[in-house]
Amino acid sequence: MSDQNRENLRELVEKFFDARQAESCLEDFQKAEQILQEHPAPQPNEMLLANIKAEIARRLPVKRAEITRHRAWELAGMAAAIAIVAFLGVQLSHHPARQHTLRASLWPTAVWESNNLAADDADLAVFTAEIEQVRSEVVALESGQETVEPDSAVTDLEMQLVEISSDFWKG
Amino acid sequence: MAQGDDLARIISGCKKGDPQCFSRVVDMYASRCYGYFHRLTGSSDTSDELLSELFVKLVEKIGSYRGGSFESWLFTIASNIFHDHLRSKQRLKKLAEVSQEELEWQVSEPKHSDGEMVDRLQGQLVKLDGETRELIMLRFYSQLSFKEIAQMRSEPIGTTLAKTHRGLKKLRQLMEGS
Repeated sequence: MSDQNRENLRELVEKFFDARQAESCLEDFQKAEQILQEHPAPQPNEMLLANIKAEIARRLPVKRAEITRHRAWELAGMAAAIAIVAFLGVQLSHHPARQHTLRASLWPTAVWESNNLAADDADLAVFTAEIEQVRSEVVALESGQETVEPDSAVTDLEMQLVEISSDFWKG
Repeated sequence: MAQGDDLARIISGCKKGDPQCFSRVVDMYASRCYGYFHRLTGSSDTSDELLSELFVKLVEKIGSYRGGSFESWLFTIASNIFHDHLRSKQRLKKLAEVSQEELEWQVSEPKHSDGEMVDRLQGQLVKLDGETRELIMLRFYSQLSFKEIAQMRSEPIGTTLAKTHRGLKKLRQLMEGS
């Protein structure tokens, strides 16, 4: 029985029984197999086998049609899935929200790559101009070109600087 | 008997619906499957029916065979067919108990009712319980390993081995004592 069943029966039996029990077990297997072989079951008659083969042949066209239908459905399903994925891909790539997102994602890069930050921010440009104006007034005062009272002029400049600084940090 | 690549080629042909390949499978396995059914039912008529049903099922289910031991797959179907037969027999028996005594006799004693000779082994096999008888026949006719049978029955290999051994030992005693 061990050969026809493609296994080493002794090795298997010895895993579960001690040496003495294993020998007895193997003998039981061998004797019982011998009994079964000496008393073969009846064989199917030729007529039965011919009928079975005819029945199979009768059913096969139906089966083949089922297989073909099944494959056709599978192919149709795959084609539909590909078409849906392609359609969704095209739709998403042209969707306004996606375009907006793309622009938004590019914007910081443009800002960080700019060499003229003052031009990028209008407020910053105004503040820069005012600082420049104050600086030129300070230079004029220092050179004595200004006609107004020096004390009041310095006070005005300080006030303007405080105001500018305050506005700047408020944003 | 076709082995390895040859069997794989035949089964591949079956999957494509080739009648010649199905015919080969019938030639290869009909004898063993018939023996399995006959030893379990004791009836040639019932075995004829079950064998026909098995190969019809084979045609229907061959697409679900995904490799591995073909014998294991085929005898799993054979075992299911036998159990379906037992269930329908039980239903008929219950029906017969309620309504027709004559019908009960027909379905409960099929192996003696068709007039065929019951050989000595068949006479002793009926003294074993159904599960043990089936296990022994599965082992002998399917030629599956204990590992494959244990997997098929979803039980530990040691359990399968012990049950088979007890059954074979009892069968041996019955045959030697009779």
